[in-house]
Amino acid sequence: MRDAERILPARSSFTTADGLGVVVARRGRIPLVSVRLVVQGGSAADPPDRPGLADFTVRLMRRGTARLDADALNEAVEFVGATLAVFAAEDFLALALTTPAEHLGGMLDVLGQMVREPAFPEPEFDTERRRALAQFANDLDDPSLLAHRALQRAVWGAHPYGHDVAGNRASVEKLTREEVLGFHRRRFGPRMSRLFLVGAVDLATARPLVERAFAGWRAGPSEVPLPPPLATAAGEGQVLVVDRPDQTQAQVGLGGMAYRRGAPEAFAAQVMNAALGGGFTSRLVRAVRVKRGLSYGVGSSFEAMRVGGSFLVSSFTKVETTRALLDVTLSEVARMRGRGPTGAELQKAQEYLAGLFPLRVETNEAVASALADLWLYELGEDFVDLYRSRIRGVTRAEAASAAAAFCFARPPAVALVGPGEALRRAAAGLGPVSVVAASELL
Amino acid sequence: MPSLLRVHEGTLRNGLRVRVVPSSDSPVVSLYTFFRVGSRNERPGITGISHLFEHMMFNGAAKYGPNQFDEVLEAHGGRSNAYTTHDLTVYYEEFAAEALDQVLDLEADRMRSLTISDRTLQREREVVKEERRLRVENDVAGLLDEELHALVYQAHPYRWPVIGWMGDIQAIRREDCEAYFRTFYAPSNAVLWIAGRVDPEATLSRVRRAYRDIPAGPPVPGVVDAEPPQRGERRSVIHHPAQAPGVLIAFRGPPVSHPDALALDVLQFVLALGEGSRLTRRLVYQERVAVDVGMDWSWRLDPGVLVFHAELAPDGDPARVEAMLYGELDRAAEEGVSERELAKAKNNLRAHLLRELATSSGRAHALGTYEAYLGSWRAGLRLADRYARIDGATVRAAARRYLNASRRSVVTLLPGAAA
Repeated sequence: MRDAERILPARSSFTTADGLGVVVARRGRIPLVSVRLVVQGGSAADPPDRPGLADFTVRLMRRGTARLDADALNEAVEFVGATLAVFAAEDFLALALTTPAEHLGGMLDVLGQMVREPAFPEPEFDTERRRALAQFANDLDDPSLLAHRALQRAVWGAHPYGHDVAGNRASVEKLTREEVLGFHRRRFGPRMSRLFLVGAVDLATARPLVERAFAGWRAGPSEVPLPPPLATAAGEGQVLVVDRPDQTQAQVGLGGMAYRRGAPEAFAAQVMNAALGGGFTSRLVRAVRVKRGLSYGVGSSFEAMRVGGSFLVSSFTKVETTRALLDVTLSEVARMRGRGPTGAELQKAQEYLAGLFPLRVETNEAVASALADLWLYELGEDFVDLYRSRIRGVTRAEAASAAAAFCFARPPAVALVGPGEALRRAAAGLGPVSVVAASELL
Repeated sequence: MPSLLRVHEGTLRNGLRVRVVPSSDSPVVSLYTFFRVGSRNERPGITGISHLFEHMMFNGAAKYGPNQFDEVLEAHGGRSNAYTTHDLTVYYEEFAAEALDQVLDLEADRMRSLTISDRTLQREREVVKEERRLRVENDVAGLLDEELHALVYQAHPYRWPVIGWMGDIQAIRREDCEAYFRTFYAPSNAVLWIAGRVDPEATLSRVRRAYRDIPAGPPVPGVVDAEPPQRGERRSVIHHPAQAPGVLIAFRGPPVSHPDALALDVLQFVLALGEGSRLTRRLVYQERVAVDVGMDWSWRLDPGVLVFHAELAPDGDPARVEAMLYGELDRAAEEGVSERELAKAKNNLRAHLLRELATSSGRAHALGTYEAYLGSWRAGLRLADRYARIDGATVRAAARRYLNASRRSVVTLLPGAAA
């Protein structure tokens, strides 16, 4: 057995009378508590013809409950200096609060009302839809956001991970309040949810407050649909150009399939990636920024989700040097795929990842999020405490085989955002090119 | 709140100030170096040199050559970054506690003997030009903000963007960089903040050893604030192929040293921070003239600026947004804020201070920033008390003083190509 070290605080847990699992972790000296209610199933479980439903629903939940209208709800939270964020991710929904410890009970009451009896008032539904539609329009002016969407589309295609969590204009235009109500009924319930409390709180204090706040929240789903795995990138070996004629800078993205969250090869892959495009001294940063001044930023990363994941490379450069950037990037990835990291690179990557790891779980919010991940992805309760020794245990052979498997062993899906004709020429030879208007992504 | 913190301090003979904040939270240390220099210390022709210089600081010195800074740091489980503002340039490293001596050696090396070559300057120039294309030329908010500052300020260096004008970035010479380094990067113009799992006394002596041979710098020239009085509203229009119209509205504000600066911190919460703030409720949810609205009031060493921004739907009407926003600002100036709004703002400011101090990095950064802006870190720890004493009359007086048309500048964005 490898060495576990104490990185996460000690936890205690209980289940409420109505079946909600609760985890409490006391830590730190600051009189604040981070509260995170996580519900399994996110945007990947949107109905196929309603991408964005999960995200829309969870955002509308803060616009009023049976007993509190939107103004009263916001006043209750904001008056005491608490903050509330609600959001959807691919595999889960989250309601996250940070509150001064003395107001924990009141804030849990608000949270309990939001999940148990959201009102989804008709006028608020209309306002939220109007805002969402305006957001889709304004997103067209954000090149890096378009690049992210284009790359998701190029890699995942029609797979449930291929649409943005917010969905798209056509879907949100058609959305009805009944669909939102139905979604809430079908997907919210204690059995598929868990509550995490981290900071200036202990079990004895928390228990009665949680029981009171969530009393009567019962039943609901006992499973969520999981998307199927995807073997190869949908747009493998193809180039998607998003036409933005007025841009002076091209956004560049490359992607392929990688591993799902919790896969054993994740450690070797992360060590390899730190050498390739993770840190500031990685091969990609050196080749693109330090040696050639082609870009301000370049990086590679793994995105691991419940049933699958991707390997992504992103950068940007002035339109005229797009091809140069593509060539340098592809050749660095290919070089890594061929031989993996050197011994010195491996060692540096391990020190880098292990040394910085404590910073990733330094705040109450980050600890609550890490605890939620242990549960959501069934990573094992000692996952975080073992992380550093697992990273340090990666061998050069393991890192090399991660590179061979994930660094575009098959031709990557390419997504470019900028002036269409110039980028079509820049992508010549990389595969069939399709040029679409930016509005088609939203 | 002060009981959470113990700050140990010292000053070297060369003027370098050092502050150490020990804690046992996690086996990590944060080191911040605050240089009191930013774009306000520049002049036309070399705008953007502060920010370009921030890039140059990673390109090698006498002991650790080009790219060695991050190379050595990462091999010791650390990372670094830096940022430049109108007033300050700040470098920081976060690393495993055992690497403290190594990181001090790296930092002292570049303060002592930075290498500035034509080759690295040329390359960083290209990188910064890409950064400017990213943040300004291809970014609607960046374009508007640049136009707004050039409208608000006629003489003060806050007129130009921190990243500088493209032509100046292109023109900055190696000699400009060398003079800049000698003047502004001396130990006498810097403060070191070290927070995390460290022994405070041992850390102070390690810093002494690492930095004591670096000579003090020349006195830093003062910044002249020759800004003439504003005699009426100023307006500008930008034509740009955006999806929706937009509007950015500024009012000239006080410097951080003025007591009104804190009253405006309170007013910012009432007007625009949070879903329940006045402007968000009225413009976004009740009248639905904007899809989002915000206010940015940031402390500045010289007279700063209160900026209101509204994101509109493609069919939105900037004139209606303006009228409604001014209605709310006039109401604040005439009627002031309620006792409950005042209490809410103070609760939030207190919670914000607590959140800032929750991590080692947060403590070093917050206290260093307070020292830079308020003159001492102790003043930062007294902020909660100072906020608590602000009453409704003070907030209303500040709203009246600053939120009036004669201090106003407005940039409107109209979709479509320039004529």
